[in-house]
Amino acid sequence: MWLQVRLSEVCLFLQAMFTLACCFSDMESGPIATSGSVQPNGDRFKIEGRAIVPGVKTQDWISSARVTVEGEEYIGFLRTDGSFVVNDVPSGSYVVEVISPGYKFEAVRVDITSKGKMRARLVNFIKTSEVIRQPYPLQLRSSGPHTYFMKRETWGWTDFLMNPMVMMMVLPLLIIVLLPKVVNTNDPEMRKEMEQSMNMLNPNPELPDVSEFMTKLFSGSKSSSSKAVGGSKYQNITCTQGPPRSFFIRLYNSFLSRGFPSSEIQVCK
Amino acid sequence: MYKSTSLFVIFLSLFVVSEAVFEDQVGKFDWRQQYVGKTLFAHFDSHSQTSKKLFLATDKNIFASFNSRTGDLFWRHVDKAGPEGAIDILLLHGQDALMVVGDGRLLRSWDTNMGGLNWEAVLDTGSFQAACFVAIQDTVKHLAVLKNAAISLHYLTNGHQKWVENLPDRDTVQYQAVYSGGEEEIYVLGVVPNSHLTIIAYSLEDGEIIKQHYSISVTAVLMCVSGIRAVCVCSLDLEVSPGFQPVLVSSQPHPARSPISEFFLQLGPHHHVLLQLNGDGYTIAPLRDFQPAFLVSFATTGEKTVAAVMTPKNETACAINLFSADSGRRLLDTTVIFPLDLNGGKPHKLYVHAFLKKDDSVGYRVLVQTQDHALTFIQQPGTHTDTGTYTQTLERTHRHWNVHTDTGTYTQTLERTHRHWNVHTDTGTYTQTLERTHRHWNVHTDTGTSTFTLSASLLDIMGKSKKISQDLRKKFVVLHKSGSSLGLFGIDSKSGSILWKHYLENVQPNAVFKLIVQRTTAHFPHPPQCTLLIKDKDTGLASLHVFNPIFGRKSHIALPVLPRPILQSLLLPVIDQDYAKVLLLVDDQYKVTAFPSTKNVLQQLQEMASSIFFYLVRSDQGNLSGFRLRKDLSTERIWEVVLPTDVQKIVAVNGKRPNEHVHSQGRVMGDRSVLYKYLNPNLLAVVTESTDTHPERAFVGMFLVDGVTGRIIHEAVQRKARGPVHFVHSENWVVVSSSCCSLATVVVVVVVVEATHHIYLYRNSKYFFLKVGLPSGAILSLPKMFLDPRRPEVVTEHSREENLIPYAPEMPIRTEWFINYNQTVLRVKGIYTAPSGLESTCLVVAYGLDIYQTRVYPSKQFDVLKDDYDYVLISSVLFALFFATMISKRLAQVKLLNRAWR
Repeated sequence: MWLQVRLSEVCLFLQAMFTLACCFSDMESGPIATSGSVQPNGDRFKIEGRAIVPGVKTQDWISSARVTVEGEEYIGFLRTDGSFVVNDVPSGSYVVEVISPGYKFEAVRVDITSKGKMRARLVNFIKTSEVIRQPYPLQLRSSGPHTYFMKRETWGWTDFLMNPMVMMMVLPLLIIVLLPKVVNTNDPEMRKEMEQSMNMLNPNPELPDVSEFMTKLFSGSKSSSSKAVGGSKYQNITCTQGPPRSFFIRLYNSFLSRGFPSSEIQVCK
Repeated sequence: MYKSTSLFVIFLSLFVVSEAVFEDQVGKFDWRQQYVGKTLFAHFDSHSQTSKKLFLATDKNIFASFNSRTGDLFWRHVDKAGPEGAIDILLLHGQDALMVVGDGRLLRSWDTNMGGLNWEAVLDTGSFQAACFVAIQDTVKHLAVLKNAAISLHYLTNGHQKWVENLPDRDTVQYQAVYSGGEEEIYVLGVVPNSHLTIIAYSLEDGEIIKQHYSISVTAVLMCVSGIRAVCVCSLDLEVSPGFQPVLVSSQPHPARSPISEFFLQLGPHHHVLLQLNGDGYTIAPLRDFQPAFLVSFATTGEKTVAAVMTPKNETACAINLFSADSGRRLLDTTVIFPLDLNGGKPHKLYVHAFLKKDDSVGYRVLVQTQDHALTFIQQPGTHTDTGTYTQTLERTHRHWNVHTDTGTYTQTLERTHRHWNVHTDTGTYTQTLERTHRHWNVHTDTGTSTFTLSASLLDIMGKSKKISQDLRKKFVVLHKSGSSLGLFGIDSKSGSILWKHYLENVQPNAVFKLIVQRTTAHFPHPPQCTLLIKDKDTGLASLHVFNPIFGRKSHIALPVLPRPILQSLLLPVIDQDYAKVLLLVDDQYKVTAFPSTKNVLQQLQEMASSIFFYLVRSDQGNLSGFRLRKDLSTERIWEVVLPTDVQKIVAVNGKRPNEHVHSQGRVMGDRSVLYKYLNPNLLAVVTESTDTHPERAFVGMFLVDGVTGRIIHEAVQRKARGPVHFVHSENWVVVSSSCCSLATVVVVVVVVEATHHIYLYRNSKYFFLKVGLPSGAILSLPKMFLDPRRPEVVTEHSREENLIPYAPEMPIRTEWFINYNQTVLRVKGIYTAPSGLESTCLVVAYGLDIYQTRVYPSKQFDVLKDDYDYVLISSVLFALFFATMISKRLAQVKLLNRAWR
């Protein structure tokens, strides 16, 4: 019901606009709109226009383009100069499109009255009654080539630096480097406080910390080789560093000299 | 408000997962083959000696220009399908091609160089008969168009009409031919059947009738007309094969001159006679008798006119020879061998392009059209000294496609992920027959290598086919119908090349087809098995053709006898001991035939009988009925739905695929409750169209029917909508698209959801202005998100949590969503998808006028490395890390040593 009321409104509005438009067109482009479009075979009309792709020669694109009226209801082809005529169209309201796989064109709605008066306007599927007039005969300018492709992501420094992971790594690094400079470490009170806090963080001072272990691990191979040469001094020094460290070095050395325990078991068998 | 939501939609759509193409992927996974159809008219560009252009007009209303040397398409113009765009005649004059379109509706002139239109003129009403160029003093300036009631003369420069004259006695005389020989007269020939001939001469200047001539003739007499005179051929001692309509082949090299006095008369299918009209113009003398001869054609170059005759050589080849037209003598060294493909069909038409060689002898190129609509271009050996002997083959076959629109209650045929927009026109049989053509060039040195390359590619595929499930390479079977023969083609999805072809002869012209895969490649010692069901549309009588889809060979399996018309076929999930799925055929007495029907199968069927249901549609009666199988393999009707045919007619019925995998059973709503999908595997979607076609009263209806119980779960009506209707039925949703109010395409989405105990429906119809399989030839990959009926008009907290896009009445169409970028597929008939060996990847075949194949990644490539994967970056990072470790190790050692010394 609502739709009907709405439609009748639309019709009224359309008609009103139409008479208005006709007045205009009579003044503006009289010969084309009236005498030029009427065909000898009764109430069949023709839609005329011209399509332009700026900066491109017509022979480069017209052979793959065509003009469709209302889907494929009526089809026209482009002339060598880019102009086109769609013949044999009865009165009605049509969406005219220039279809080209290379270049994009805006669609235009063309209204033809039963007397053959023409008017072109912008296509609006939502508000079908809205009239934003376009020139007739149609002047369709391409807005450029179609963008069919997505852009590949390219690697850039800014992208890399703005990455959250990188930010997470860089900021703590800055804090580590800058904080000691800010805080006065020579102050004994401060040092005491820091030690306390470190102890709180590391509840078991007996456990070796990971970083230390890693350093030992890498220096281990060196130490073992120096031992082979006869670097007993080095060994002694390391031994005095305390039981946990020497334990780890010994463990590591045993690994190096004997290989893996499992292989040993196999040999035993 | 609208503006802001639409902006929001555009913004959101940027982040929606879409199957877009990257520029470097062009041509990597996809291929397109462009076709034109069955050739009606073909002309070589004789404008210049070196021109490589070939112009074709086809039954698909296409005017195309080809490179005759390679077979590449320069351009083609696709007119409206149907009789309105049909090409009546194609004439070539210099650079211009003249064309009459739509049974004398339009006259077009094309610039063949640029592929653009020169002009288009509207002709008066009347059915088209003939057209010819008219020349005055050696220059062609006009075109005469003869219609059944009038003759008109048009200027070649702009298409304007010079004069038009009504033909006398047009009620009794059938005017058939128009001719001009360079004089100031145009002759029109008319026939009064069983009575006499009429020849009228019109003045070129003003269309006045100069002379009128009647010749009394008896029935069944061959007449040749020369100028104003008619000469009786019956005086010669020529015998026409019984039941054969004689055909006359003559040639007019230039419109400004009279035609050559020699002509061919075809007296039987393989019998031609070269005749000569004597100088006095009254007597005809035979020059040479050609028997057997398949095809004949004239060609002219310079002042020389030659006749090309194709004669059978042996079983596998034909020979084409040139004969001098004026004497009938054979010209030396002009033999060209045309290899006959045993599967390809007989030669149908011959187009010859003759040219003068440097030594003033006649060379020629020939285009042979075979009955399977293939074109073969043959260049005479030795015409170019530098190229040597080579043969180029342009095959343009014309195909019918069979799309599997299976409808059994439980069963389904081919693996496929989903079907986009399938047109269902014929609900009686559920199959669609689609036509297209195929073009395929072989450039090779001789025919021996051709067979070699073919077998090489076959071997390649043999290796692949065993592990076809892990591969991205698949094979699809294409059906093509031309006349009474049906072609089956195996096509490689990777390259689009034809791997095998097989022709079935004596297929009824109105047959419909259904292709069923009974056994896939998964059961190794057993070959894969495909069954083609061929059914006569009128009588319903069906026959089966069983073949191996990998090699196309016919399987020697005992076929069931089908004496009665077949109504329905369904593929059951039951397999026999050889792993072939069982095909059930229901005849018009509702009796069931199983294929294969071994004891094992029958026993399984008896066990399962109570759970096998099927349905039948009779669209002419508006009747949809469900049946159940009994233990003795008879059937019983359990439900029936009648849709009154005076209001609406059933246009399509679609079930779900049985192998459909539902990934989630429900959806979590914004308020943390779960909306369960209604996942009845037996649900049928029935789409109807109103019989009233008035735009205001027309409607498209949709019913959801339970295939087992016959209960109508839901019905929906879209007002002011009309066909063609396209729809997709999957999981718990149905998408129906139809055109509405002559404005745009309307898409209605129906989603069925289930509450804990009772089913309730959630329906929402939206006006999207959606185009899929767009007339521009683009294939749009539309995110399903946009087809969610729960898209809110006002964005709320809940809807945002559910990732719902706010509702907008118009669908955004972004060119990035076109999976075929600029490789348009015109007149799309269907889009077919199949999963590949990789979980992330699907293969898509779109077909219409062309075939386009590509890969899509609906949820991105999660199981393979991206094809832009940066190997350089990752390896450089690895090396950098390695060296950093080494250096830091060394530094640590130094530090440790220093500390030790301290």
